[in-house]
Amino acid sequence: MTQTITIDPVTRLEGHGKITIRLSPEGQVETAQFHVTQVRGFEKFSEGRPFYEMPSLMARICGICPVSHLIASAKACEAIMSVRIPYPAAQLRRMLNLAQMVQSHALSFFYLASPDLLLGMESDPANRHIFGVVAAKPELGRAGIALRRFGQYIIELLGDKRIHPGWVIPGGVTEPLAPAKRDQILAMIPEALANVRLALDAYKQIADQFRPEIEVFANFPSLFLGLIHEDESIAFTDGELRMIDPSGAILEDGMNATRFTQVIGEAVEPYSYTKFAYYKPLGYPEGSYRVGPLARLNIARTMGTPLADAELVLFKQLASGPVQSSFHYHHARLIDMLFGIEKIELLLNDPLILDHHVRATAGVNQLEGAGIAEAPRGTLMHNYKVDENGKITWANLVIATGQNNNAMNRGVLQAARHYVRDGKFTEGMLNRIEAVVRTFDPCLSCSTHAFGQMPLAVSLLSAEGRLLDQAIR
Amino acid sequence: MPAPVQCLLLACGNALRQDDGVGPWLADWALDNILSEPGLRILSRHQWAPELAEDIAHARSVLFLDTSTSTLPGQVLLLPVKPSSTVQGLATHHLDPPQLLCLARALYGVIPEEALLLTVGAASLEFQQDFSAIVHEALPRASELLQQTIQRLCHLPKPVLAPSPESPCQQI
Repeated sequence: MTQTITIDPVTRLEGHGKITIRLSPEGQVETAQFHVTQVRGFEKFSEGRPFYEMPSLMARICGICPVSHLIASAKACEAIMSVRIPYPAAQLRRMLNLAQMVQSHALSFFYLASPDLLLGMESDPANRHIFGVVAAKPELGRAGIALRRFGQYIIELLGDKRIHPGWVIPGGVTEPLAPAKRDQILAMIPEALANVRLALDAYKQIADQFRPEIEVFANFPSLFLGLIHEDESIAFTDGELRMIDPSGAILEDGMNATRFTQVIGEAVEPYSYTKFAYYKPLGYPEGSYRVGPLARLNIARTMGTPLADAELVLFKQLASGPVQSSFHYHHARLIDMLFGIEKIELLLNDPLILDHHVRATAGVNQLEGAGIAEAPRGTLMHNYKVDENGKITWANLVIATGQNNNAMNRGVLQAARHYVRDGKFTEGMLNRIEAVVRTFDPCLSCSTHAFGQMPLAVSLLSAEGRLLDQAIR
Repeated sequence: MPAPVQCLLLACGNALRQDDGVGPWLADWALDNILSEPGLRILSRHQWAPELAEDIAHARSVLFLDTSTSTLPGQVLLLPVKPSSTVQGLATHHLDPPQLLCLARALYGVIPEEALLLTVGAASLEFQQDFSAIVHEALPRASELLQQTIQRLCHLPKPVLAPSPESPCQQI
C-alpha cells in the first residue's frame, strides 16, 4: 500500500504552500510535489482599467517586492506609450529597485534561512526562527534588522511609503530626488556595507558544514536566465536578458521583453496554482530554467562594483561552469546585497541624480507592451494589451517563482529521495526538504495568477485512499 | 540608528478593514492634535514587524495602539505590556507588543521604562472604511485617554534608559 507524507504548511516562506511525497509499497519515494494552494488573479481583474493605473494596481500583488512590480509594469506601459524615460528617472528607479532587493534579501537570509544555517537543520524546531538566531548570534540578528531597515528607509524616502510606494509611474517618477535625501542615504552606506560583510564572512565560515545538503538541494544541470548590461555586468532594472545552458553556453542574448513573450511558454499542472515557465525551443519540461540570485551570478561576467566583484570571483570558483546547487542561492543573495549597497552609493554620487527632468509623457501609441525587471527572486515580466482608449483588454505576468517552479519541484524530489528511505524519516529530514524550497525564496502570493482556465481538482477518496470520484473545473 | 525619543507611539491596523483601522486613526489624531509634545514620535504600520525592535529600544516609553477582538466592542482599555517569555506563534511579518519588547531586549539590551497598550474593542472587521457605530462612539474616549497618556509619558521624571539586567527572552 502506498503512503503519503504531507508537509503542510511549508514554513518560513512568503505565502502558503504544501509538499506531498508519495511512497511506493516498499517505502521508496515515487513522487514529490510542491503545491501552491492559494489563487489570486490580478490579470483578470485589471481588465478594463486604464493602463496608467497598472503600476499602482500591480504593486499590490506583493508587500515584499512591490517595487519590482511597479517597475516592470511601468516599463510595459512605457512600451505602450513608446517613450524612453529621462536618464535621472532611470537612475532613481535603479536605486529604488536595489533598495528593495537589499531589504527583501535581508528578510530571506536572516529571518527565513538563517535559522537552518546558523542553528542547524536538526536543531530544535521550537527555537528554529529569528528569535533563536537572535539568542545565538545577536550581532547577526542586529545586522539583518539593520539591512531590512536600510532598504525600507530608502524606499520610504524616495516613495513616501515603505510598502506600495506610488513614486514610479509610466514615463518616469513623480518627483526628483532632494539633496537632503541623497545625503541621508549616503550617510547610511558604511553601516550597511559593514553589516553585509559580517553576514558574508559568517556564511563563508559555515558553508562547508553543509556539503551534504549542497549535494542534494536542487543540484542538477539547468538553464539560467537573468538581466545583464551590454558590458556583461549584472542588471536589475535595465539591460536585456541572457539565457545560458548548463555548460554556460549562451542560448539567448540581448533578449528584450518582446522576445521574452515569444520564447517563454507557461505550462500548468493540476496540483498547483503557480504556472511552470519554460524555454519554448526546448519544450516542457526540458526547457525549464532557473532565475534569481544564482542565475544572475551565473550569467554575469562582472558585478560592476569592486567589493562584489571580488566576491563574484570566489563564487565562480565553486564550480567549473555555472554553479548548479540551489543551496548556493544563499551565498549569491549576500553578494547581490553587497552589490546593491555599493551601487546605490555610486548612483547617489552621479551629479545628474538630482536633475529635475524625471518624467516623459505620452498617450497610447502601441496596443501592446511588455516590461522586464529583476525582482529579488528573479526575472519578472508584465505584458499588457490595450484598446485605442488605453483600457486594458488582456494582461499576463510571468513571475520569478513560476520560472523556478519546475526546479523547486525537481529539488524537492531529489531531496526527498535522498533523505526518505524505507518509509522512515525524521523531523530534521523533513526540514531539509522544506529548506530546499527556501533556497529559492519563492513568493507564493506573487506567483499565483490566472492564465486561461486554471485547473482546480477536487478528489473524493475512500478510507483506503481509493479514488472514488474527481471533479475538475 | 533611530534618534532617542521620550515617547514612541506605535499604531497597527488596516484602515480598509473597518474597526481594524482604529490604531492608525488614533495615530493620525495624535499627529493632528498632540505632535507638539516634546520627544513624541508616531509610527503607523499595517503590521508590527521585527524591524521596529530598534525603534522601541531607543524610546524611553512606548504606547502601542491597536484594535482588540478579545474585548467587548467599543471597550477602551489601557494595559501595561511586559516582554514575552515565549515566542510561540512567531511570524516574521507580524509580532505582538510582548514579542517586540522581547526582541528589543534580546537585540539591543534595553527596553522602554514603560510600555502600554491602548486598545478599542472591535465590532466588525469587514471590508469597509467607516467604523462600526459602537467604535465610532468610543473614539472620543479613546482620544482623551490617548492624550492624557502621551502627556504623562512625554514627561516621565526619570533619567534616560539603563541596560536591562534581565536575560534575553526565554525560549520555550
